[in-house]
This record gives sequence, structure tokens and C-alpha cells, in this order.
Amino acid sequence: MKNRRRIAKYSALSLIKQSVTGRRWSRAWRHHDLQASYDVVIIGGGVHGLATAYYLARNHGITNVAVIEKSYIGSGGSGRNTAIVRSNYLTPEGSAFYDRSLELYERLADDLNFNVMFEKRGHMTLAHNDSSLRTMQWRAEVNKLAGIDSDVIGTHDIKRLAPAIDVSDRPRYPILGALWHPPGGIVRHDAVVWGYARAADSLGVHIHQQTEVTAIDVAGGRVTGVVTTGGRISTPVVVNCTAGWSTLVSNLAGVRLPITTRPLQAAVTEAVQPILNPVVVSGSLHVYLSQTARGEFVFGASVDPFSAYSTRGSLEFAEGLAGHVLELMPSLSHVRMVRQWSGLCDMTPDFGPIIGMTPVAGFYVDVGWGTYGFKGAPVAGEQTAQLLATGVVPELIAPFSLDRFERGDLTAEKGAAAVGH
Amino acid sequence: MLLILCPHCGPRNADEFSFGGELVRRPGPDTGQESWRAYLYTKENLAGWEREQWFHGSGCRRFLEVERNTITNEIRLVRDVAEGTA
Amino acid sequence: MAHRMPVQPGEVIDRSDIRRFLWNGKPVSGFAGDTVASALAASGVSIFSRSFKYHRPRGILTADHHDPNLFVQVGDEPNVGAGHRLVEDGMVVDAQGVWPSLRFDLRSANRLVGRFLTPGFYYKTFMRPRPLRPLYQRVLRRFGVGGTVSDHATPVHPEKRYAHPDVLVAGGGPAGMAAAIAAAGTGARVLLVEESHQLGGHLRYTGDETLGLLAELREEVAATDGIEVLTDAVVTGRYDHNWVAVVNRNGAREQLIKARVKCLVVAAGKIERPYVFAGNDLPGVMLSGAALRLMNLWAVAPGSRAVVVAANDSGDAVVEHLERGGVEVVETVDLRTPGRRLVRARGRQRVAEVEIADGQTVEADLLVTAVGWTTATSLLNMAGDLPVYHPPAARFLPGSLPDDVLATGGIVGDGSPDQIITHGRAVGIEAGRRALRRASDWAQSTPRAVSPSPLAAGEPAEIPHLEPAAHPEIFAGPTDGFVDFSEDIRGKDLALAASEGYDSIELSKRYTTATMGPIQGKLEAVNAVAMHAEATGATIAETGTTTWRPPYAPVTLGALAGSDDDPIRRSPMHDWHVERGATPLIAGQWIRPDHYGDPSAEVRNTRSNVGLIDVSPLGKIDLRGADVPKLLEFVLINRWSKLAVGRVRYGAMCAEDGVVLDDGVTARLAEDRYYMTTTSSGAGRVWNWLDEWLQTSFPGWDVLMTAVTDGYAAINVAGPASRRLLERLVEGVDLSRHAFGYMHARSGMVAGVADCILLRTGFTGELSFELHVPAGHGLHVWTSLLDTGADLGVAPFGVEAQRIMRLEKGHLIVGQDTDGLTKAHAAALGWAVKADKPDFAGRPELVWEGASGPDRMLVSVQPADPQLVPPEASQIVDGAAIVGRITSSRMSPTLERGVCLALVDAALAQPGTSLAIRLPDGTNAAAHVMEHHAHFDPEGERARG
Repeated sequence: MKNRRRIAKYSALSLIKQSVTGRRWSRAWRHHDLQASYDVVIIGGGVHGLATAYYLARNHGITNVAVIEKSYIGSGGSGRNTAIVRSNYLTPEGSAFYDRSLELYERLADDLNFNVMFEKRGHMTLAHNDSSLRTMQWRAEVNKLAGIDSDVIGTHDIKRLAPAIDVSDRPRYPILGALWHPPGGIVRHDAVVWGYARAADSLGVHIHQQTEVTAIDVAGGRVTGVVTTGGRISTPVVVNCTAGWSTLVSNLAGVRLPITTRPLQAAVTEAVQPILNPVVVSGSLHVYLSQTARGEFVFGASVDPFSAYSTRGSLEFAEGLAGHVLELMPSLSHVRMVRQWSGLCDMTPDFGPIIGMTPVAGFYVDVGWGTYGFKGAPVAGEQTAQLLATGVVPELIAPFSLDRFERGDLTAEKGAAAVGH
Repeated sequence: MLLILCPHCGPRNADEFSFGGELVRRPGPDTGQESWRAYLYTKENLAGWEREQWFHGSGCRRFLEVERNTITNEIRLVRDVAEGTA
Repeated sequence: MAHRMPVQPGEVIDRSDIRRFLWNGKPVSGFAGDTVASALAASGVSIFSRSFKYHRPRGILTADHHDPNLFVQVGDEPNVGAGHRLVEDGMVVDAQGVWPSLRFDLRSANRLVGRFLTPGFYYKTFMRPRPLRPLYQRVLRRFGVGGTVSDHATPVHPEKRYAHPDVLVAGGGPAGMAAAIAAAGTGARVLLVEESHQLGGHLRYTGDETLGLLAELREEVAATDGIEVLTDAVVTGRYDHNWVAVVNRNGAREQLIKARVKCLVVAAGKIERPYVFAGNDLPGVMLSGAALRLMNLWAVAPGSRAVVVAANDSGDAVVEHLERGGVEVVETVDLRTPGRRLVRARGRQRVAEVEIADGQTVEADLLVTAVGWTTATSLLNMAGDLPVYHPPAARFLPGSLPDDVLATGGIVGDGSPDQIITHGRAVGIEAGRRALRRASDWAQSTPRAVSPSPLAAGEPAEIPHLEPAAHPEIFAGPTDGFVDFSEDIRGKDLALAASEGYDSIELSKRYTTATMGPIQGKLEAVNAVAMHAEATGATIAETGTTTWRPPYAPVTLGALAGSDDDPIRRSPMHDWHVERGATPLIAGQWIRPDHYGDPSAEVRNTRSNVGLIDVSPLGKIDLRGADVPKLLEFVLINRWSKLAVGRVRYGAMCAEDGVVLDDGVTARLAEDRYYMTTTSSGAGRVWNWLDEWLQTSFPGWDVLMTAVTDGYAAINVAGPASRRLLERLVEGVDLSRHAFGYMHARSGMVAGVADCILLRTGFTGELSFELHVPAGHGLHVWTSLLDTGADLGVAPFGVEAQRIMRLEKGHLIVGQDTDGLTKAHAAALGWAVKADKPDFAGRPELVWEGASGPDRMLVSVQPADPQLVPPEASQIVDGAAIVGRITSSRMSPTLERGVCLALVDAALAQPGTSLAIRLPDGTNAAAHVMEHHAHFDPEGERARG
């Protein structure tokens, strides 16, 4: 507990006090020298790594923990996603898992004393043909059995909930209905990173930015330490919480993964006055969109058509995206895109993550999140922390073990491989 | 939009092609479960030069072997699979 | 137009052409050539917008396309840059996000609490009480200053254009023009793109003495063959392999132009950076470029009493031009002189007084700053370059460029117009040479492609050095002011962020939102970096810059979307279906007739008389050659080597993981000719799949494959009277039961059309013939069948009736009754898996699935209540656990009861097993597993009939 500290609580009152007195806030997280050893080393200072560190410290009292980040915290997928959360997954195991994540997201601001600005706008997945309507029905039925608020609605309700969506008859992509999921919404993604980092730091976790892991030492089938650009660390436990580089990091421990890295692009427009409340998704059109509190539209699409470790982005993404957005909201044709960006997604063969143990003792993974990493971060952190603390695989993550591929027991999200953000 | 120098058609935009992933060797039909599933699922996922397959579906409909750098997207070799060594 | 000056030598307005428009409902006029901002400034308008956070009044800052303060609503268009958009008669222009008016905006009350609106204040507040959070969120959303999207806006989808220049020059200033001329001189085709409305860059407004030179350059550009000039257009992105996006603004009808550029020349010039001091955002405080542009391009006096703060020759020029234009320069603060400083500007709606260092206050309504430059390196950055900070010039310069990108002009260095033009010419020649070399490389790399014979490229051109002019490193004065005008971020906000731990520039940007506004940091990034560097004690070079992402300038979604449409496919009989009022069904790319009014009646007619369905979308592949049987043996799970000529067989195809990919029938029409049909949606995928195996694994096999999906129209003639109907139209084929049995194939003439293929197959379970006729004759055969069979009760049926009939027969649809994990045994296709074949796609997985038994099984199910049709996707439950789902369900008009297919856990697959189906209302319905897949005619007598 040597590292634990009291930090100024965030509230409107403290904000006013600090502004009036001119006193500065304490640092949200501190710099530390790299220790020669830690109980747990987490590779990757994104939302997964930081959440894992936070829950290790908070739920299990394990605080001698280092989070090693090669750039700045949240520099990877955590700050590049479209900040959508939901739990209306197709499979019972998927919906139970993400429902727990949503539950954690809902109280995250209180847990972390950091307003992550979770806006429960509702999440609407449009169906343009009878087979996607059937998949919506499938999801709704599975969700309802798990107690998740999720149902198929008609065009009348679509128009009521999202008047800006064009539900008129069109030849190519008529809107036949939608899967409506009121608990879904958007969260300020960076705030989740910073909130976890600040809370983990206050509990004693060391966050080392601009530090890269260059080797993982394994002896006799067990992890013994990691080598970083800041020095070597002895540790019996290493968790790979990276995205984009998860193959390369796992290779350092001699663990091979069924992962292909693909860029996922997104874009944002200039701000306009609010016209869209819910998050809207179209699987057939491969697009999802929401309007931020600032008035910008944030758009995403499916992963790039070929693998790459590049985040430069492409014009054809922007073109296809714009076409599909205007198919849903023709009134946006004069609205301007101001920025496009790209993050790296680690795609697994069945679109499910890989969480848990590996053939190397002490080397754990929380990887392969594809396009769902942000949605699943709180629960993945919580469950991974529990696994590390207890040595027992928690039920929620058991379906996502690495050995399922060798066993041929893939998760059923592959069943309906439509885009479903 | 990448430019792929198709040996049959000349320089063409990548949207005429579809990506077939890294080149893999198919084990024999009587192989064990472990090696078959490694063939199906495990990937090299190289960061750097990778040998991969592209299909010129909107051109000559030939399957091509391409050496591409997955970080920079540079392409240094394109040849018909029939000439390949994979 | 109270502020209009006398005629200026370089003005771009046509004083004989008056344009009238509305500004916030009031009539205003300007001249052709005026921007909205220049016309309004000429009319005395000084406030154009309110700021994002504090709703402070904002006026002209740069008077060009980068101006963060000039976003206005023009009709249906939100966020139009008034510093760039030209005035037109009848334009309706309004200030954005103000209430109740631009001059008196109630939300400027935010200024009173401004001291609490520190960066990240929202992360620290609005958390309690928890039930109020949605309210906080709604209130926050009301403060946006963006424009309005009208529901009635007419969508704009201009067609895109592909351009094919060898060299594309981004920037039409003196360097860009010189580069274009020189590149064209080497024989290259050149596209010269300039964001302003005229070529010339700074030569247009920085001095009368260079107007002659400008005219000469423009003439030379016009006279040079091979240069296409686009003004009011901007290069928005450079993507991998020099794929370049240009947006031709063309007013409100932006067009996207795409080009594969062999060499890109970036001549984007310099952007003037604002100075950070208290009051730097007051209307009347502007950059030297803005003052020069207003006076020299549009003859607008920017004020009447001016203070000029100068750290470079642009400031000196402003003083000279102001005085010449009759604006009194009451004070010049030369920051190059030791001891001279600017403290702050004061004023309410506009600058009124300026405090300078020695405690002296000067009354003025105009404050012009000329304190330095930033370079427009975005395109270079997108090309992989990391710009390097150069302290002596106090700006970022290109680092190392890829071979297909060159830079010239202010982005590289400074000099006299002659030196800049000389540099531009050298770069142009080198660009032409590199373009030529690239063309030659491409030709050599693609030996079998038809390419023009390559020319030899010469030796590299020598590019002279263009030294960046020395400039003092001045970013901020002694007081704090706005760094980011779009986001209302001050210097102290950046310092505060750094002290809270957001101490890398990228974290600071995300926490404060500096540079995230509509101009994306083009103006502010360097100041933000400088302020952040100061706060963290690092140098500017160490701090670096944030990553520039495309687009360089905002692009409308309409331009990006263009008129591209996803294709629609129609059968040759499509119009006939439409005329008959068929209800359309979207099926992948196809539009098909779902039904013609009453699908149940269509089923009954087909089962009792004869029906026709248009199945043209079926995938069709013609296979010829000695090794076709080997290919079929490999790609299909069942046996093919012994298929006799004239026979048809059902086949299923699995991927290497054993999952069912597609199914269909294949006929052997002749000794070495086969005809394969696939599902409609799988047609392309199967064609590619076959080609992939042939090319990558079996290159020596003698197989010639042709996809003929569009070559044949296909009609299924089904029902007890189908043979009688066809006997009237088919010539040369004996249709009798013994001569042409079930699962046989023939070729012959139908309704006078030769080369038709007849298959005795069908999805409906009736006696049926599938006719594949040359597509051009499809409609003829279709109507002939209907005309000829009227007395037999022939009638068309649609996809819905076919789905009902196939479900009555228990036939599966791949992708509906199977999913991405369903292997052959689970799909009840275990009978077809021939594990004794030495190899076929997916064999190992299917052998293992067969040995261990599938985990799920496709079965036919009937609800206990005959009137019940559980919706497709209803879950089958065992208590709270999901043990299966209904994959298909319909009311059977034939059996007058609900019939289903379901994927259930293998343990529940035994005939007679009771199932509980969870209905949408939350109740469970009893059902049971059927003995046969076919609910109707399980022995298949009718099809053999």
C-alpha cells in the first residue's frame, strides 16, 4: 500500500474552489521510476490494460503492478474507436459478457470519480432486407432471454426515435425495421482511459508511458520477467493487453495467436445543431453513426479489406462511408467531414476475443477484440483481474479461451458474421 | 487506394482485387487436428514484408502472389501464382 | 459599402456587377468577386460569429479559407467559410448558433463563469446528482455553434471524376505555377490545383510591384500545353501509392476528383499564425494577411485607426498599404526592436484600445499582427514525412520526402519572387523526370500488359537551396489569449492540462480539444505546441507536432459520396413482373418478385396445376474439360466421378473448416461438359472458389470454366401439369417419364429457342423442369409458357411461394437454415459426405464431425398447435437455457398447419422429441421433431411423377 495516495476529489465544488484559489490540480497520474520487479506487469496502457490494473488493485488488493505503454496512455484503439457501447449480442455468452460491461460503464463515473460522460442514447440497428430482419429477431430473442432490453421495432418507431433517418421507400436499401436497444449509447472514450489511469494510480499502480517491452523472459515454460526500453523487470505474471501489436507481443513469449491485424477507420464531421439522438447502425450498409454532445457526427464502418499495421487511412473508406451515410440521412449531404483516422483491430476467426491463460505459465492474454474492444473493456479488465488473483477462469470469460481454436469450439458470434457495432 | 502492378493487366487500383490473406501451405488431408487447425486459424500476422495472395477479380481473374509491407503498404513483387513457389 | 476603398490595382471585384444578399435577414450588397466576408466587411459588419465555449463575438482573423471565425449558414449549407465563398445574388446568409441575435447572445453569459470552464471541467463535474446526468447532457448539447441541417435540404451528389495527370501541383502560388510550367515542359501532363479563386498566392496582394510578374506567370500557365488549372479546388489528401484526392469546390456543388499521381509537388505555402495575447480574439484584431487581402483583393478598409504589431516584412507591408489606403496607423510595435511589446487589446464588441508595453494605451479600432508563419505540411505528413522544427525560422520544415513527392515554395524556404520561381521550375523539371521514370518502371513491371513504350528518364535535376528566412521565435505576448479560436482554448488551459499529467502533445490535444475544431489546427497547431512546450519545459522540436490526418480541408459528404450507387441486377423477365404488380424483394443485388398478390394461392395452384417461377438469379457455371470430375470431387463433399451423361446430382460445398458454403445441382450435359448451378447469393463466391483451387492447387488440370449466370434466364416449371405444358413447347426432347426421368438433364429447343438446358429438378417437390434458356429469349419463353398453358391453369409464383413449398419439403437454404458454424453433418447433409474420398475441401473437419457426431442438427419441427407459426429466429428453450432456434417457419397452405425447420442441440434431434419454443410474448409453445425432413410427400413421389 506504499503507493496509495489521497487525491483531490473531482466535483463542481472542488472545481470552483480550485479556480478561485488558483491552486493547481494534482497530477491525474504520476511518474515513477521503473522498479526491478513487480507482482504483475501489464503490457499496453489502453483501456484494457488500465482497467485490469485498476480492478486488480481495487477488487483484489494487488497493487504492485506496472502498466507498460510504449507511447502515451490511450494512444491505440482506446482513443480511436467510435465510443459506442451496447450489449445486444447474438449469443448468450456474448450478451451476458457485454451486459456486465454495460453495467460497469453505467457506474464508472462514480467508481472512478471521473465523468466518462456515458450518454444512454439508445442503439438502433437497421434492417434493409428480410435476412437481416431475421438476424435482428434472433438477437432480440436471445437478448430477451438474458433479460436485456432489446426488441425489433418498425418504421413508425424508427421515425419517432430518429426523425432524421429517411424511412421512405427506396429501391436498394429500404428500411424494414430495426433492432432497438435502449441501454446502448456513447461514452467519452479518452475519459475512460484517463479515469482508469487516475484511479489505478491512486491505488498504487505504476503507469510507465513511453516505455516499450522488447522481450519477455520465459524459463521452463514460465514467465520470469520482461525487458523494456527502460530496463528489465522481474515478474511472475505478464498480461498482454495490447491491440494491433498483440501478435508481436505474444510472439515475444513464444505464444502464437489466431489473429490478423486490420485497420478500422472512422471519421468525424464539423458540428451541426443536434438532430440525431440514438446511435444508428446499418449492417447491410456497413456504417454506424452517432452525433456527439458537441454536434459532430462520428462515423465508423467495417474493417479495411486487407490486413495492415498502418493507420494512415484511405480515401475509398471516406467515399464509401459518405455514400452509405447519405443513404440513411440524405439531408447530411452539405455537412463536411473534417477528419478521418484509423485504429488497428485484431481480428480472430470467430470475431470473439481471446482472454485467459496461454501455454506459457504466467503469460496471460486479453487480446483479439476485433472491433469490440472498447465495449468490452470494463468487464475484460474485471474478469482478467479476477483470473490473475484467483487462478480460476471466471465463467464469463471461459468461452473466450485461446485453446478453443485448437479444439474447434468457436464462439457463435461467427454465426451471423454481419457487421454489428 | 493501393496500386497493384498486375503482370497481366498493368497498373491497376486495388479495388479491382480482393485480398486473400497471407500465403499458407495446406497440410495433407490426413493430417492431425493440431496442424489442420493451425492451418485454418493461426496466423503469422507479420509486421513488415509479407507474402500474400490477391485475386484480380475485376481484371484477369488470376490469383497473384504479392509481397507487401504491412506497415508501409509498399509492394515489391507481384506475380501469378502459377509462377510462384509457395 | 461604407468601407469600400477606391479602385486598387490588384482588386478582384467587378464594380459593375452588384450582388444582393441577406445577412441575418437584412439586405446587403457586394460586388461580383467579393467573398461573403469581404462584402459584409465593406458594409461595416465586424462580428461574424460567436465562439464555441464562451460565445464571445468573433470577427475576421485571416479573411481566407482558414478563418476559424467566419463559419456561417448559407441557405441549407451549414458551416460555410465566409472568407472563401463568393457572394451570389439572393444568397441567404445567417450567423450560426446564436440566441437571440449575433450582437446580443445570451449564452455569452458563459463568460462570467469562464474561469471555471477550465479544460476537462466536464470530466470533473456533472456527475451528481446522478439522475440529473441526462439533463446535464441535454443542456450541454444546446451550446453548439454549428450550423443547421435542414430536413428539406436537397441532396447533392455530383459525379466524381478520375484525372490522370503525371504531375499534380498542390498550390498555385508563384512556386506552384513555375513548377507546373516546368513539369509540362518535360512532356508531363500537369494538374495545377489552387484553393483560392485565382492563381498567384501571395503575389496577388502583397505588393503592386509584383503584379506584373504575376500577370506574366498566369499568361505562361495559360499558354503552356499540358496544364489543367483548377482554382477554388483543394488537394484534400495524399494516400498510399500517391492516390490523391482533390475537391473542386465549385461553390455549393463540390466535386471529388481522384488521381493516381506519378509525382506530387506540394507548393502549399505558408499560413500566418496568430499571436497569443489578451484580447487577441476581439473583432478588429486580425492577421497581416487578412488586412492585405481585404485592401488589395476587395478594396475593403479593415478599420480607420490601426495599431500594427510587426515581427516581419509582412507587417511592414501592412503599414505601407494601410497608410496608402487612408487608414491611420497610430502605432507600429516592431517586435524586432528590443523592448517593444504588445500587452493586450480591449473592447466590447470590437477592439477599442491597445495597451503596449510601456504602459501606454492607444485608441484604435484595428490591430494587425504579423508575428510569423506556420507551414502547411499536412500533405507531406500524409506522405509519411515528419516535419522538423527549424528554430532560426521559427517554423516546421519538411523532413524527408518519399520519392514520389516533392515540395517547393514557402513550405521549403523563402526568397525573392525570382528565387522562388527558380526553385519551382527546378522542382517542376525533376517532377516531370520522376513521373516519366515511374511510367517506365510500371511498364517494365507488367510485361504482359499493353503499355506505351517507356521513354528514358534523364538525370536528376539540380534543385537550388531555398533558405528559410530568419524569424524571431515569438508565439505569445506577456498576457494570455486564445490559442485555438475554434475551441476557445487559451494558453493557460494548455499549461493546466500539462500540470495535470496530460503532458504529451497528443494527450493535451485530446484533453483540451485544442486543434480539434473545423480548421483542424492549420492555424493554431504551432502555437499550441509552443505553449505546451513552455508548460512542460521541453523544446518545440522535442514536443513535435500532432499527426495531420486527411482531409486537409473539410469536404462535404455529398462530394465524397458522389453519384456512386450500388448496382442492382434484374432478370430478363423483370419488367414483366413489374407490370404484373409483383411485390419486389431485395435478394442480395437482385430484385425479385416476392409474390403476385397471394403467395398461398400461388402454392396451391402450383401443387394442383402448374406454376412458373423466374429463377434467373441462380448462379450458373459452365465447366468443360477432362478433369471436371476431379474438380467436382474436390470442391463438393459427395461423389461425382460416376455421374453419367444426361444426369443431374445435388451437391454441397464446404469450406476448409467444414462449414457449409453453398449448394446446388450439377448436370453432365456431355462427355466433357458440365453445368453447375449455385445459390443466387453464392454465385460469385463459388466461381472464385473454384478458380482459386484450380489456379493455386491444380494448375495442370484440364478445366475450362465460364460463369454464365447472366447468359441464361432460368424458369422453373413446376406442378402436376408441367410435363403437359412443356410437351406443347419443347422440340427434340422426349419428355416422357421413362425417357426423361427425375434428376436427368437434356438440351433442346423450347418455344423455338435452341440451346436450352432442361433439368428435371426443382425446389418445390413437384414434378418440375428447370429451363435454362439464352437470356435474350428469356421473356419470350416465359410468356410463351403462360400463353400456351392457360387451359392448364398455369400461373407465375414468386419467391415467397417457393420458400413455402421448399419448407413443406424440408429443403434447407444455406445461410438461413445454416449459419457460419454449421458443418455438413449438422446441416443434415451427413449422407452426402463421402469420407472415403482421399481429399476434398473441408474433409478433415467433416471426418471429425462425423466421428464425434455434430453438436447441433437441422430438423423439421411442427408446433402442437397447427395454427401456430413461431416467428423465424424464435429460440428453443429448456428452462432458461437456449437449446436451438427456428430457422424457417411458414403456414403451409398445403397442410394447413405451421411447419418449421430448426437447428437444435444434437441431443434433441431424435424424431418425436418435444421442444419448447419461446414466443415473442414470452410464453412457450409446445412442438416436436418430425421423423422426416419433408413435411409433405416424404417419399418424394410427386417429384418423380
